[in-house]
Amino acid sequence: MAGLLVAAIAVPGRGSSTGASRNVRVELVSEQAAVQPGRPFHVGIHMKMRAGWHTYWKNPGDAGLPLRIKWSLPGGFVAGPIEWPAPERIPAGPVMSYGYTREVLLPVEITPPGRIAADSITIAGTFDWLECSEVCLPGSAALDVTLPVRPEPSAPGPAASLFAEARSRMPRTPTGWSFSAEAGPRAISLAIRVPAGFSARRAYLFLDQPLVADFGAPQGFERAQGGYRLTMAPAPNAPRPPERLTGVLVFDERAGMKPRTALRVDVPVSPGDPAPAPAPSERRALPRVVYVALFAFLGLGPVMVMRFVRRFHRE
Amino acid sequence: MVRIAALVCLLLLGSISTGSAAAIVGKQAPSIELRDSNGKAVRLDEFKGKFVVLEWVNFQCPFVGKHYGSGNMQKLQKAYTKKGVVWLSICSSAQGKQGHVNGREANELLKEKDAAPSRFLLDSAGSVGKAYGAKTTPHMFVIDPKGTVVYNGAIDDTPSTDKADIATAKNYLVAALDAAMSGKKVETAVTQPYGCSVKY
Repeated sequence: MAGLLVAAIAVPGRGSSTGASRNVRVELVSEQAAVQPGRPFHVGIHMKMRAGWHTYWKNPGDAGLPLRIKWSLPGGFVAGPIEWPAPERIPAGPVMSYGYTREVLLPVEITPPGRIAADSITIAGTFDWLECSEVCLPGSAALDVTLPVRPEPSAPGPAASLFAEARSRMPRTPTGWSFSAEAGPRAISLAIRVPAGFSARRAYLFLDQPLVADFGAPQGFERAQGGYRLTMAPAPNAPRPPERLTGVLVFDERAGMKPRTALRVDVPVSPGDPAPAPAPSERRALPRVVYVALFAFLGLGPVMVMRFVRRFHRE
Repeated sequence: MVRIAALVCLLLLGSISTGSAAAIVGKQAPSIELRDSNGKAVRLDEFKGKFVVLEWVNFQCPFVGKHYGSGNMQKLQKAYTKKGVVWLSICSSAQGKQGHVNGREANELLKEKDAAPSRFLLDSAGSVGKAYGAKTTPHMFVIDPKGTVVYNGAIDDTPSTDKADIATAKNYLVAALDAAMSGKKVETAVTQPYGCSVKY
């Protein structure tokens, strides 16, 4: 096991240190170039996963483990909770995990004391995570970042753009939206009233609670009064109906490649018997060339294809 | 026409979804018919009248490593089989996936780890794992002498791969077994299991 835990390498002359496990490279970075006494700022662990590997969200889903941090902070400094960007679904057969592929920055707010005697301070911590592909390995690194102390507000540091990117993926508290939820034996239903002009093809609710919904079951999504209705299969072993639904609702918008809309959901649940909504097809798009070849094989030109589609719609 | 039917079938293929089965606390445990590591057929029915523990295992998973490397799992196996409990370790790793073992390999690993389950069951098709809704290794179940599921979930309340956490963790399996075996209600009968995903 010790062989898997690669110690962090301090880089002299640089503010932050990097580390690595077999499949994840990590660095502790600061959003600001310096620390101003009494003014909260953000540090973050930047994790870069090898292709095919992932790490976990705060609720890992059916399996896995979120990042754990043990901070070593200078006297009077306080670290806030990890701020988790909206996760991705990572299915493996019937087991659904929630996490991150490629890379992620996990920010944490640090509040310094009102008076700092030193010229510079070091934020340090031990970071433990689980990295998985087909197999899982524990990863660990001791990381630190050293920053000068300045009386005036600090300029952004070299890693500031990472924080901006992470914030664009953070769930926001919705304004102009409203949610209500109902749970019964067949489904748990979230009614979503959307602001005027909003339209979405599908949505997914990442619950941060265990033993409420069946993470692996497809979620239903349909148009409803004032917006949409999302439904989840209750967890087969849920000991009791949920009192609240809490998590992150992510939309894949029609507009295509825009950043996903991710909203914080925290709503009381009333008892009822909502019906499951149909699950949008999770079919992966085949490469375009496959469709072209298929249509060519079928002897259908584009006109024929359109006629075929229209006829199906009429029926 | 055949071609169009083929096309329609192809387009529909992706949209098939599967509901998930599970062992439900308070209900009859799904049946088990598997071969053990010695090639003998094992059925859950054989153990009517006894408490049965099911332990999902993958010896290459670091969470399983935590509980075997520390001796925690072996200690529980020995303590409860001595009290007449039937302990079935089950491996649902598919052929070619992490943790997959044949009978001989399983027996070697059990010997090497000084493990003492009553039987070690081979479920490389994953059918029993899926019927129980086994998600992680470890994932623990307790079945009472009537064949009713009385516990489904984690081994303890501290999700980690760190052996040092075992000393301070509340062991849900122990609490469930001790309550059920003394005729009491299991207070915490369902928990979220933690571990590696089962490698179906």
